[in-house]
Amino acid sequence: MTARSLPAAALAGPPRGAGWSMPRLAPFLFLLPIAVSLGSVSLYPILNGLWLSFTNTSLVTQEHDFIGLENYAQLLGDDLFWNAWRHTVYFTVVSTLAETALGLVMALLLVERFAGRSIVRAAMLVPWAMPTVVTSKMFGWLFDGQYGVVNWALRESGLIAENINWYGSIDHAMTTIIIADVWKTAPFMALLLMAGLQTIPKSLIEAARMDGAGPVATFVHVRLPLLMSTLLIAGMFRALDAFRVFDLVYVLTGGGPADATETLSTLSYKTLFSALQFGYGSAMATAMFITEALIAIGFGFFIMRKMRAPR
Amino acid sequence: MTRTPKTPAGGKGGIQRRQFMMGAGVAAGAAALGMPRLARAADRVEISFASAKFQGTETIGNVVDTFNESQSKIFVKYIELPPPSSSTEVHQALVQQLARKNGSPDVFTQDVIWIAEFAAAGWALPLDEYFGGVKSQFFDGTIDACTYDGKLTALPWGIDSGMMFYRKDLLDEIGAKVPTTWAEMTEQAMKLQADKKVKFGFLWQGKQAEVLVCDAVSVLASNNAAILAADGRSSTLATDKAVEAIQFLHDTINKYKISPADVLSWDEEPSRAPFTGGEAAFLRNWSYVYVLAQDEKSSKVPGKVGVAPLPHFEGGKSAGCLGGYQYGINANTKQREAAVEFLTWMASPETQLRFALKMGIAPTRPAVFDDATLGKEQPFMQSLKTVFTGATPRPKTPKYPQVSLAAQSGISRALVTGKVKEELEAAAKKIDAIVSKA
Repeated sequence: MTARSLPAAALAGPPRGAGWSMPRLAPFLFLLPIAVSLGSVSLYPILNGLWLSFTNTSLVTQEHDFIGLENYAQLLGDDLFWNAWRHTVYFTVVSTLAETALGLVMALLLVERFAGRSIVRAAMLVPWAMPTVVTSKMFGWLFDGQYGVVNWALRESGLIAENINWYGSIDHAMTTIIIADVWKTAPFMALLLMAGLQTIPKSLIEAARMDGAGPVATFVHVRLPLLMSTLLIAGMFRALDAFRVFDLVYVLTGGGPADATETLSTLSYKTLFSALQFGYGSAMATAMFITEALIAIGFGFFIMRKMRAPR
Repeated sequence: MTRTPKTPAGGKGGIQRRQFMMGAGVAAGAAALGMPRLARAADRVEISFASAKFQGTETIGNVVDTFNESQSKIFVKYIELPPPSSSTEVHQALVQQLARKNGSPDVFTQDVIWIAEFAAAGWALPLDEYFGGVKSQFFDGTIDACTYDGKLTALPWGIDSGMMFYRKDLLDEIGAKVPTTWAEMTEQAMKLQADKKVKFGFLWQGKQAEVLVCDAVSVLASNNAAILAADGRSSTLATDKAVEAIQFLHDTINKYKISPADVLSWDEEPSRAPFTGGEAAFLRNWSYVYVLAQDEKSSKVPGKVGVAPLPHFEGGKSAGCLGGYQYGINANTKQREAAVEFLTWMASPETQLRFALKMGIAPTRPAVFDDATLGKEQPFMQSLKTVFTGATPRPKTPKYPQVSLAAQSGISRALVTGKVKEELEAAAKKIDAIVSKA
């Protein structure tokens, strides 16, 4: 551009076409970086996983052919898969319910004023801050069938006569893992619910009290209804997270005994990285994704209804 | 990766620092000064060596250091992988690296069970050209395990096998001989337990993991049974002999009560601890236990532990599961000569002797086995020679990982539920489906 043409262009204003398109394009340009980064780290792996699930890709056999829905057909008839699916759903439901209930109790306690509250609040978060692998090892020793302190305590107190084989028997292995998970994650639920409790106006609780409502009635008729959307959102987070349980199972039992603690994460891990069947393993992962989506939709339905409902 | 690499001339750190200073300096100057730097870097070929972590009074890093100091042409960078008890992680780490086909790591060690898989995938360099001439210097069995499809694709490093550890002092007390059959062992274990001499008669590993397959192969083969047929195309896990063998493992817990039900969730270390703690009479485990059992500081039974081949069934013969790690060269290595030279040194009798003395890794060369120093310093290794004679490999198939997972699941189910025949039949069917596709 020459020096002489500059003022002329400025006087004439931007050309009509350019001025018309720039403001429309700008938002998309601003969105481009995030779209590219999300697309490459989130969308692409999902689509690639989906594509792999339609192939017989295996590192061992070096095959990589499109086989349509064959993997899914095999999956439907695979009792190991359904076994893991049931365990995962069971684990998700039980641990989420237990953690929500326990977390709610903790939150109700911690929202009250008492001496040393801030120390208790901080201490409560220690289990959550601990790496799960450490938790797993710790619970491995606590619940050790021969030398564990849990068996010792139960024996000394006369509750059991013989040692319980915590994670070496089909009856107790899943329970042990759920106990470990509840210990670790209930504080996280407590934290979320405590934040929810703090948003409830004090005036409402005072009003209830003046109307003669006791603590239980206040909780049932004032706090709980107002806490419902927080509960649902926290529950959804927890359920989606619990569905992916891996470390606890992997470290404590390896999925055994007799596949009694096999979950979808550990099974697809074994299929993908131990047996190196990328195609079949991806089909498993996709099935897991679908189940998770259904859980999210279920929760989402209630959350939306809750939010739309007039207060 | 734990060890700081050491080089005799100045140290690697020095070279890197120099490179960094040049980069930070004037660009034109760096270009001019670049020549001597390149010459320095090129005076050593660098190769990487990935191995599972073995422990003893020395580490693999110490041995690699010795190689680096012994000559000035090759520099080996040691990459430490998890210990062999975390077999799946080691396997995964190797596969992820090898599948990239970029030549890294140049040299690696592999569990015997992966040799077929790595060879079939084309990741392991055939070694006949380089080591074909020295094959006869190794145990026939290990060479066989290192051969896939007629080609030598791995080089023997260490032989190990399942073996029986027993308490010499306790057997003397009851005036019993070292048991050679499962029935004898069971009888002695029950007696020692009844006499309150030990808490547990016999410890083994039943965790749903690779080690369960090892324990299973030992009892199966000692009853002339196996997981796969000889041609590797079908499963023989549901034959009467096989059912009888797995039933015995179930009986140790439920019928004879010489094993706690906890073994169903134990792998090597949890089962080793009660034994070296003096609470068990017999233990099935690998050779590493001996060094720990003799350690005055951590063991309650130093000097009281004997090693023998695992017992067998009437009409069978002892069959410890063959284990051990073997060397391999990455088929995509760009430093083939250096890798071969490094392996020649690593597989030499001298290095094998050192691995044996310092880390309890039994030599794969019979000649080293008979070495006088070895006999003097580790007399127990002499008795291991008979243990290794009967060592039985696990199924040889490129689909081994899948076969193993199916076997783990099926055998664990059989042991826990007690429906041995039913569960083994189901497992055999699954394994058939896997191997018939190969």
